[in-house]
Amino acid sequence: MRLNRRNNIFLVLLILLLPAIKVSGQEKYPDRPITIVVPFPPGGVADLTARPVAAALEKVLKNPVVVVNKTGAAGAVGMSFVANSKPDGYNLLMALSSISIIPEADKLFDRKPAYTMDQLIPIALISADPTIFVVNASRPWKSVKEFVDDAKKRPGEISYSSSGVYGTLHMAMEMLIQGAGIQLKHVPYSGGGPALTALLGGHVDTLASGPAVVIPHIKAGKLRPLASWGAKRVASLPDVATFKELGYDIEFYIWAGLFAPRGTSPAVMKTIREAVKQAVNSVEFKTAMEKIETPIAYLDAPEFQKFWDKDAKMLADAIKRIGKIEIPEAK
Amino acid sequence: MADTLHNLYIGFSVALAPQVLLYAFVGCVVGTLVGVLPGIGPLAGISLLLPASFGLDATSAIVLLAGIYYGAMYGGSTTSILMRIPGEAASVMTCIDGYEMTRKGRAGPALAIAAIGSYIAGTVSVVGLMLLAPPLASFALRFGPPEYFALLLLGLLVLAYMSGGSMLKSLAMAALGLLLGMIGIDPMTGFFRFSYGLVELGDGIGVVPVAVGLFGLSEILLTAGQPTAPEVKKPKLKDLLPSRQEWRDSLWPIGRGTVLGFLIGIIPGSAHIISSFVSYAVERRLAKDPERFGHGAIEGVAGPESANNSATSGAFVPMLALGIPSGPIPAVMIAAMMVHGISPGPLLITQQPELFWGFIASMYVGNVVLLILNLPLVGIFVNVLRVPYPLLYPAILLFCVLGVYAVNGSAVDVGIMAAMGALGYLLRKFDFETAPVVLGLILAPMIEMSLRQSLAMSSGNYAIFVNRPIASVMLLIGLALLLLSLMPFLMKSIDWRQRLGISTANEGEKL
Repeated sequence: MRLNRRNNIFLVLLILLLPAIKVSGQEKYPDRPITIVVPFPPGGVADLTARPVAAALEKVLKNPVVVVNKTGAAGAVGMSFVANSKPDGYNLLMALSSISIIPEADKLFDRKPAYTMDQLIPIALISADPTIFVVNASRPWKSVKEFVDDAKKRPGEISYSSSGVYGTLHMAMEMLIQGAGIQLKHVPYSGGGPALTALLGGHVDTLASGPAVVIPHIKAGKLRPLASWGAKRVASLPDVATFKELGYDIEFYIWAGLFAPRGTSPAVMKTIREAVKQAVNSVEFKTAMEKIETPIAYLDAPEFQKFWDKDAKMLADAIKRIGKIEIPEAK
Repeated sequence: MADTLHNLYIGFSVALAPQVLLYAFVGCVVGTLVGVLPGIGPLAGISLLLPASFGLDATSAIVLLAGIYYGAMYGGSTTSILMRIPGEAASVMTCIDGYEMTRKGRAGPALAIAAIGSYIAGTVSVVGLMLLAPPLASFALRFGPPEYFALLLLGLLVLAYMSGGSMLKSLAMAALGLLLGMIGIDPMTGFFRFSYGLVELGDGIGVVPVAVGLFGLSEILLTAGQPTAPEVKKPKLKDLLPSRQEWRDSLWPIGRGTVLGFLIGIIPGSAHIISSFVSYAVERRLAKDPERFGHGAIEGVAGPESANNSATSGAFVPMLALGIPSGPIPAVMIAAMMVHGISPGPLLITQQPELFWGFIASMYVGNVVLLILNLPLVGIFVNVLRVPYPLLYPAILLFCVLGVYAVNGSAVDVGIMAAMGALGYLLRKFDFETAPVVLGLILAPMIEMSLRQSLAMSSGNYAIFVNRPIASVMLLIGLALLLLSLMPFLMKSIDWRQRLGISTANEGEKL
């Protein structure tokens, strides 16, 4: 073949088209690096839970597992990315309980949802932190009863911060508000960190927060825990009662779980689920989770699906009750 | 005092241990690289190395990550000065006068002053961190939404001092920036504003794509659009060092920048980005001949560069003294500490003295390392300008795209950068300033959020701004600044009448 201009172009086209030729056949899964997408910025709960999972999975699968942060829109960007990606088992999602909130909020605003919950299938639940109800130590309430009584006396005056409207911390407080029949003032912040800072500075009175970030401040006497939203008492705070014990039928967990896009083949799902089960039971994983004070709460896919459905329904009801936030007239 | 010296001794013995020293060095090098690359900022760099830090011991991990943070502030000035492309959002102001200095052949001195100013600011602010961390942190905690709002309003007023040329044009650009900042999720109600269905716009238009596009891409397009190719600059060795006059001129700006940056940095939140903007405006206001600004005034490089370096030390104050995540980067560092089993909180300094003092000492060491790293590199970087434009600019374009994409892995960001590049080209052709757009973009969401949070806290009562001492003081300062800037107009109109009075009196005499 002569290397003239026409043949040159053919050759170039041929080389460019080579990647399109896929060798079909049974490739063993996994044979490429697996990506776990974390839809939140680094350093947060989802990120800190995903990294030990990735490290442990890598050992079990003997295949690289990489964590990638795809942030934006309170998690919607990363979640919709995985929901819409090819279901070949190489793009997994580590999501928090807010995964159930975002499609509901979209429905509330008549928006085209970024993703829907049936675009994702659960792999496993990794952790479920009960939320803790903390107040600034300078405030007078020493028990939930005192707090609720005071709130009933002056409705809408006691304030709480949150990580954002319709976020997990907002939802947790909403359940207390509904369960106790009180009215509180909501001051949203952008993220758990700023919400905690505001509470420490005394700019708001209370906060519902995940345990890991508030425990150092509780120990230093800056914050006082009144109750927790779990079914059992938090291990590091044995004196803090649960809302259930105090007579309120509310439970709220900030849970983290692994998901895959719907359509992922059952064989691949089985491999991943087995691998996750092994990874979660490994010693390194347990030590890592202990260090970040996050108790492991492993549930395999079928149980996780039930848990997720129940949690999603509870959150959907709460969102419908809150409805659209109306801005009151300024005085 | 003896206590502090003793603690410093412990700290240095930790920081100068070979392993910790090595990681400080690695952190500084990575930070400089991350700062030099346009688009990628320290947050992206820290996120990349976060998993690597899990395997190290706690002190080495924190030293590594902190090194990336303040190293990026050193590196960010390099591309800003040489090519008018901001290495990260905080280096935007350095682009303006820094690049003008390069055009005059004073690239070396600009880079040198930037490095030295950064070193002085970095070291002095670490002293501040070391001695004043607990009381400063308690002061910083008192900054709630009303105080934040007052501070940001001051930042907005500072716009008036930022640019020469037509005030109308600057304000128009600031308004454009403010409007662009409205895009995104409404923080109080959850509405998506102006997102046109793109989920990626939910958090608004990012500062990084806008800054890189408005400054960097527009510069590339403008150079490409010139009728004749600009001659390649060949800097000589003696041109690499600042002249005595330049040294003298930079001294006060460095000092003021250090103090200003540190104070703005300790406030929790993302306000430390505006430290370089405020410093530039202050320098411009205080200069005897402000017309030099925008045409290569060394103060416009020394001030902002010092400010953004001392703001990084300031950002560590609430993190170390109280354990609160005062911004996205301290939040990642707190996470890194938690992974190592250290819970950051008010008792960190007393419970983990080796960590705290080792960290402080390593920052001293890190700043020295960066100075030694950056000064000789000035010669190398300046020689990058010798590369012919047809090779240089496409390579820069490539790095811009890579850098902006790498921040979020989002192609939408690259699209925004391209659109902003086109817009920046048009704006500069019509003689509009682009810096106010970036400032407006940064300030708008923060001002709106703090205003509405303040009103939520007070249930709609505007009196909250005057009832709180810090907020009312800052608002008064803002009012004073506003009135001061109106003075020339008042003076001119009085002057005009007086002149008319005298001439009519003369007329009267003649008649």
